Amino acid sequence: MTDAEKKMKKYTNAVERRLNLPRAVKARVMSDFLSSIAARREAGRTDEEIYAELGDARKAAADLNEQMKEFAYRKSPWRFLFLGLAVVAAAQILYDGIIALVGRYILYRASADLSAAIGIIGGADGPTAFFVTTPSWMVSVVTAALLIVGIAGYLLLRHCKAK
Amino acid sequence: MEDRFAQQLKKGVLEMLVLKLVCAQATYGYELLSRLKETSGGRFSLKEGTLYPILYRLEDDGMILAKWSQGQGRTAPKKIYEATQAGREENLRRQLVWREFEETVNIFLKGDRDQ
Repeated sequence: MTDAEKKMKKYTNAVERRLNLPRAVKARVMSDFLSSIAARREAGRTDEEIYAELGDARKAAADLNEQMKEFAYRKSPWRFLFLGLAVVAAAQILYDGIIALVGRYILYRASADLSAAIGIIGGADGPTAFFVTTPSWMVSVVTAALLIVGIAGYLLLRHCKAK
Repeated sequence: MEDRFAQQLKKGVLEMLVLKLVCAQATYGYELLSRLKETSGGRFSLKEGTLYPILYRLEDDGMILAKWSQGQGRTAPKKIYEATQAGREENLRRQLVWREFEETVNIFLKGDRDQ
């Protein structure tokens, strides 16, 4: 591959990356875009002239996104419900984490006898030990699951197909 | 920035013109852009992105078909569009609609141009 070909490949990849379109539409647009570049070359245009005509990758992609709006992803308003869920779950995890750290700190400060007295298996050697002793460990698992579902739901609903 | 009135007029007309050009001869995107620009004396100078939705609508409606042309010699393979039978019939129908439309509008516009 020559340097000019590498530069063109980099350019078309950069345009493709910036297209906010469903995969199938993106493939359709890129096949036309590449054909258009090939046709320009055959019409005697230099690569520099082609870059000037199409604009830099950012501009070319912005133009395509703007004109292809009717084929673009539609962001569902329901995504905010999932975002809210993720935020609540994240806050809960952060809160639990702080409590755990404080707990660990207290355990480290306390004597070994105290650790044994409250029955930590394997000693206070990490946050796991704390969670195992916590009767509400199920809560942590559910919270983590909610966080994942929230983030996944938010991301997926940003990419609904256009009507 | 073109005014909105001209833009809206162009939008409907371009779909008719692109279909007519594809019916006349199987062609690819860049050729369509060049031909529109040349024939209109630069007035229909489109970007790639403006042409693609028109082509995809026509293709999705079964008026045109996309194929890959085989590259010959040093030419690269290109995506080429050709009209279907339904597209040819629709092309004639749209031209008829346009002519009737033009005649009707002209009834209102004839006479003094400044009024």
